[in-house]
Amino acid sequence: MSTGSRTVTATETLVTSRRRGERRVRSERPRWGLTAIAVVVVGLFLFPLYWLVSTSLKSPDQIFTSPPTWAPIPADFSNYATAVFDNPLMIRALGNSVIISIGATLLTLALAAPAAYALARLRLRWTALLMLPFLVAQLLPAINVALPMFALFSQWGLVNTYPGLILANTVGALPFAVIVLRPFYLSIPKELEEAAAVDGATRFQAFFRIVLPLVRPGLVTVAVFAFVMTWGEFVFGLTLTTEREMQPVTVTLNSFIGLYGTQWGPLMAASTVVAIPLIIVFVVFQRYITSGLAAGSVKD
Amino acid sequence: MSSDTLTDPRGVGTAPPPRGGRSRSLQWLDSLGRYGFVLPAIIFLIVFMLYPLVYTFNLSLFDVNAGNFLTGGAPFVGLENYVQFLSSPAFIPSLTITLVFTIGSLVFQHSIGFMFALFFNKGFPLSGLLRALMLVVWVLPAVVSASLWRWIFSGSYGLFNAFLALFGIQSSEPWLVNPATALPAVIIANIWVGIPFHMMLLYAGLQGVPIQLYEAAAIDGASAWQKFWRITVPMMRPVIVIALLLGFVHTFKVFDLIYVMTAGGPAGATNVLSIEVYKLSFEYFRFGDGAAAANILLIIPLLLSALYLWLRRREESTL
Repeated sequence: MSTGSRTVTATETLVTSRRRGERRVRSERPRWGLTAIAVVVVGLFLFPLYWLVSTSLKSPDQIFTSPPTWAPIPADFSNYATAVFDNPLMIRALGNSVIISIGATLLTLALAAPAAYALARLRLRWTALLMLPFLVAQLLPAINVALPMFALFSQWGLVNTYPGLILANTVGALPFAVIVLRPFYLSIPKELEEAAAVDGATRFQAFFRIVLPLVRPGLVTVAVFAFVMTWGEFVFGLTLTTEREMQPVTVTLNSFIGLYGTQWGPLMAASTVVAIPLIIVFVVFQRYITSGLAAGSVKD
Repeated sequence: MSSDTLTDPRGVGTAPPPRGGRSRSLQWLDSLGRYGFVLPAIIFLIVFMLYPLVYTFNLSLFDVNAGNFLTGGAPFVGLENYVQFLSSPAFIPSLTITLVFTIGSLVFQHSIGFMFALFFNKGFPLSGLLRALMLVVWVLPAVVSASLWRWIFSGSYGLFNAFLALFGIQSSEPWLVNPATALPAVIIANIWVGIPFHMMLLYAGLQGVPIQLYEAAAIDGASAWQKFWRITVPMMRPVIVIALLLGFVHTFKVFDLIYVMTAGGPAGATNVLSIEVYKLSFEYFRFGDGAAAANILLIIPLLLSALYLWLRRREESTL
């Protein structure tokens, strides 16, 4: 078999995914034995996460024991008070992260939605050239952008500002957004736009009224990814803020490590609070995340 | 068409996108208008990504430091910053640590991810749900994973030592404090973070291996081992290559996980290149040196990006 046809198979793979799984399930008895093994293995894999949450609910007596206390009984919520609710800096940081993440997600959508559309409809030679910056950008180390950005933002007055952090986070999220969104436009028949043109719609009307509603699943996928990426972003937050009041929550969490040292209870409580928005987003939008990951790119 | 390797964002068997000649009736979408859609994003990347990268190159040619950073007037030093960084005692250890971290992480992320993918591919009740659950690890912010693993690797009360005790190994080693064990510990944490990514890509790839090949091989009496090496691996080669390539680039540039776990310590044991760049610029305020180091850090991801783009193009041309 030639290399070429193998490559084709790999692409078709993703287009025809699941077919085989279904057939298997149909033709054989449900294999609950495998399910039992999978529950154990996945449980072991996720055990560190359980350890995160359970430590956050333990008193120091339960944390500093050997062998470890496996379950946080009785549950002690005081770590959350110490690290989060009675901690104005943490509350402020959570607010900062909400503003930065939502701002960057909206800016990413506003730039990526038309750009991916154009890249799906342009002639192929230009598409390859214009896709280049997006493809390369998602492979750049964040520190390579953060370093000069700090120098430039110092001159432009954007250090320690929400707009500065939103712009930087958008640099991180935009390339991925365009790459994920483009195939959604490719799957829309262009006859729809042609019909709209015949009816006298301008290209902007056709884009906003006809095309955009059809790629809504793609827009949701991109929004979910942009939010996940920007909520967890650390390098820009660390380098582009010098005032504690402007730090995103990831940077504040890092400074807690120095502050709390080995007070693992409060530290795990703060970590859990930082993770919760993403866990919620994950549960609600799980199918968008699963499919987006198959798009062959990754968050930082 | 599918320049988007490994792409069908819906992933659930939608029809392939339409392809072929562009219809003449699309001419109303004149070129200026078409470029108008993509222009804002391109301008954004030029101003906030390309210009900063060019600016880094500029910075790297001057002796920019805390004294003249804001006032300007840093003296031009040509390539001296590069020479200084490449001959500094930090460079070779830092490059070595980066490569050990990257390759050590990648080998285990990929092989364990492959095992998970093969296992889930057997198809059993609830496999979809369990597979999805593993992705929670991938969604977690790096800072959260890092603080969690700091706790797991801590001395007397850490989970890792308790885990070793299950096998009769008594240890109260503070793994991240000991220079000999810090790098393996950071690699273990990063393996955990990276497994779901490899599992998902490889699982998607496995869906495309025709089941008939396995059936034919079974008739010929092939063992499971033979089926894996003679059918699965050759059929999966493009997916494996892309996963390793992207995995390498993304691991090579890791900053946040290591910075939060060890900040490059102890005694430089986990001082990867990206952390060295950060320290030069933001701790020692030697921006010229930092910029030169940043450009050297950039070389390997750029070379691999070129390879990645070439592979995508080759795939495009076969369709």
